[in-house]
Amino acid sequence: MSTAAAARSGGPAPRIPLLSRRALLAGTGVAVAAALAGCTSSSAEDAAAPLRIGAIPDQDPEVLQRLYGTVADSLAAALDLEVEYRPVTDYAAAVSLFRTGDLDLVWFGGLTGVQARLQTRGAVPIAQRDIDEAFRSVFVVHAGTGLAPSDDLAPLAGLRFTYGSETSTSGRLMPAYFLSEAGVDPQGFPGGPGFSGSHDATITLVASGSYQAGVLNEQVWDSRLGEGGITDSDLVEYTRTPTYHDYHWLLGPKAVERLGADLPERLTAYFTGLTQDDDAEVLELFGAGSFIPTEAANYELIEQIGRDLGLVR
Amino acid sequence: MTTLLDRPAPVSSRPVRDRRRWGWAIAAVGLVGWALVDSGLFSGAVLNPGGAAQFGRFASAAFRPELAPEFLAVVAESALVTVAYAVLGGGLAVLLGAVGAVAVARSTWGRRRTGWLVARGVVALPRGLHEAVWGLLLLNVLGLDPWVGVLAIAIPYGAVTATVFAGILDEVPRSGYDALLAAGAGRSAAALYGLLPHAAGSLLSYAFYRLECAVRSAVVLGLIGAGGLGYQLSLSFTSLRWEQVWTTVYALAVLCLAADAGGRAVRRRVADPRPGGDRDRVLTGAGVVVLALTGWAVWYLTLSPASLVSARALEQLSYVVSAAWPPSTEGALLADVAGAALDTVLMSVLAIAFATAGAVALAGLAARPPSAGLPRRFTGALVRATLLLLRAVPPPVWALVLLFVLLPGVLPGALALGVYTLGVLGRLVGEAVEESDRRPTEALRSAGASPVGAWLYGTVPSLAGPVLALACYRWEVAIRDTVLVGLLGAGGIGVLLSAATASFDWPAVATVLAAIVLLSLVVDLVSERARAALR
Repeated sequence: MSTAAAARSGGPAPRIPLLSRRALLAGTGVAVAAALAGCTSSSAEDAAAPLRIGAIPDQDPEVLQRLYGTVADSLAAALDLEVEYRPVTDYAAAVSLFRTGDLDLVWFGGLTGVQARLQTRGAVPIAQRDIDEAFRSVFVVHAGTGLAPSDDLAPLAGLRFTYGSETSTSGRLMPAYFLSEAGVDPQGFPGGPGFSGSHDATITLVASGSYQAGVLNEQVWDSRLGEGGITDSDLVEYTRTPTYHDYHWLLGPKAVERLGADLPERLTAYFTGLTQDDDAEVLELFGAGSFIPTEAANYELIEQIGRDLGLVR
Repeated sequence: MTTLLDRPAPVSSRPVRDRRRWGWAIAAVGLVGWALVDSGLFSGAVLNPGGAAQFGRFASAAFRPELAPEFLAVVAESALVTVAYAVLGGGLAVLLGAVGAVAVARSTWGRRRTGWLVARGVVALPRGLHEAVWGLLLLNVLGLDPWVGVLAIAIPYGAVTATVFAGILDEVPRSGYDALLAAGAGRSAAALYGLLPHAAGSLLSYAFYRLECAVRSAVVLGLIGAGGLGYQLSLSFTSLRWEQVWTTVYALAVLCLAADAGGRAVRRRVADPRPGGDRDRVLTGAGVVVLALTGWAVWYLTLSPASLVSARALEQLSYVVSAAWPPSTEGALLADVAGAALDTVLMSVLAIAFATAGAVALAGLAARPPSAGLPRRFTGALVRATLLLLRAVPPPVWALVLLFVLLPGVLPGALALGVYTLGVLGRLVGEAVEESDRRPTEALRSAGASPVGAWLYGTVPSLAGPVLALACYRWEVAIRDTVLVGLLGAGGIGVLLSAATASFDWPAVATVLAAIVLLSLVVDLVSERARAALR
């Protein structure tokens, strides 16, 4: 006979459980209250908050962790500031977080930099790499198309075509501009253009033949060629675009309020002062020979094209 | 058990030929046929054999995941973050669901149908949007706060939980409740003492089931930057390091398995309480573990209630609202939305048809038979492990990988969703098979029927109802999930959403979100009617 049944029929009373329901509830209440009380308030408005740097990653995790760990340490040492790296995976998220002030200094692409600057009054471009001054995109085609390398973009119009990420400067915006300059509707293409999501995905999708042509960042293409990562004889480099400005560091206004009006100059001086002799590690991780100053005017063409394509409002 | 939890499964009654069922069946077949024709399956090539090598690279990496110690350390730490988000998000969802259930239960409203309908409509809004969409919206208001990940799970899950809890409350025996009311008790006291004790078991089971789902959702959120396994997965995915992708997928599978095993143990205890009045140690232990995990997660993520009501959050909220209001009513956008909504429906129909067919085909193997030989058990374990992996790989990854071997169009996106849904549905249908009544089949077998005949006439009739109910339920989920594969450009309304968010066109975002909510509401109503016809 079970204890409850025994109790009901006049047997010995069931023993009191070790942890009564009331004790459990009270304990929980205390624990939750303690946990909530122990939390500190948000540090976003804190005057002593560190300089938060961020970026849209397009490399693999360890490289990324190292990249920004190294940059954060080097920056912190040079400027005598507390620097914190905050990872973000999404272009739109990085722009929004820059607007909300969660990220102070962000390594943006050309277009995302413009979007972020237009949404965040007082944001200033800090520096760009030497290669960003004359950046290019690479059009690639599947060997099965039979197209030989050429500067004429018109033959691409009849192919299944993929861009990279929607707000990528080198994978979408500038190629779309050069396509329309060549008389090809950038939103045309059979079945509409695809958005692979990343430069590496573009390479693989075109190599597979699912898309017959695509366009990507010159730096990624060159680095994959150099690594021997592109062994597919199915992939043909069709042409490279003319040059344009791309990636740059953008600084938000809240960091300037917090850390002093001279912060932009100090940051620019830090980046442009990086040399191959002393800071080879940082420069190599960025794939840069050096950093050079930049200004908002460099991105006017990007803004104009962005407006034409409906990507900048 | 889960079968019964998601939706009350229809009770199979005497076989009657019902005209309504014929209508629904013809409509379903027609819809699937339309979706197939629209996908271009019959009107040209859809396969791209040239991409087999790329697909092979993805598949073969499954056998050699990245095992470098540094990477494993990163994965282990990320797994902790994912667990913390899942526990807090899932836990908060259950709390919200418990409160919301009171608001949407028929018992609360009695005969006041209008109030009930309004409450149901209010709940449909948070439920209609995918966790990833909530994540993106919350990110714009709260910034990089851990609340983003927690609330992005808790809000939609809370709404789903509220609906399910309300369903459970409405379907328990009401005699105690009515007796208490008649004896002069207040409505709340009557509900507490007359309804709640009956429902407690099912409520607890469902709460644990939600926790399992929260693990997978926490990963999806990582894709938009909430950290954890999803963040690592997304980084490895961006650069197509398949070995690393598989390591993360395995880590996620282990988490899912742990949550699943815990939930299963609790459900079993609840469904079959031990005799005796003692508190069940397993259940108490599970409760204590969940509370301890919650406390740890709050500490680990440094969650602070203050940031929810901070001036900055309010300022950003007003920014987003004023930017998004009024929603865009441009004719071109509305036409696009209508076209994309149709694509989304057809895509989700294809996905569900594929997943249901697959789940039914695998159900016999996925179920744990009461007694079976070693080979059969091994096959069963293999099938269940495969299903686990199918649902551990997020839909965007499936979409890209399938795009290697399929030509661009609706099909790769639909199949990506279908494969993922098969992972979920296969498990649910397997469980339904485990819990089905085996006696008709055994009677037929002992009367000399062939195995196939016994299965057709003994098992299928009793399973058809629950399986179709599950398929309907996952259809609603698939509608929401199309947003995920759309982000990769696989077609449907997700493409519009990602275009609108990429260009920060907030009025268009508002319009597209409204369309998605409306769409899932319509699908919800349609599948509700279909389920009613099946009952």
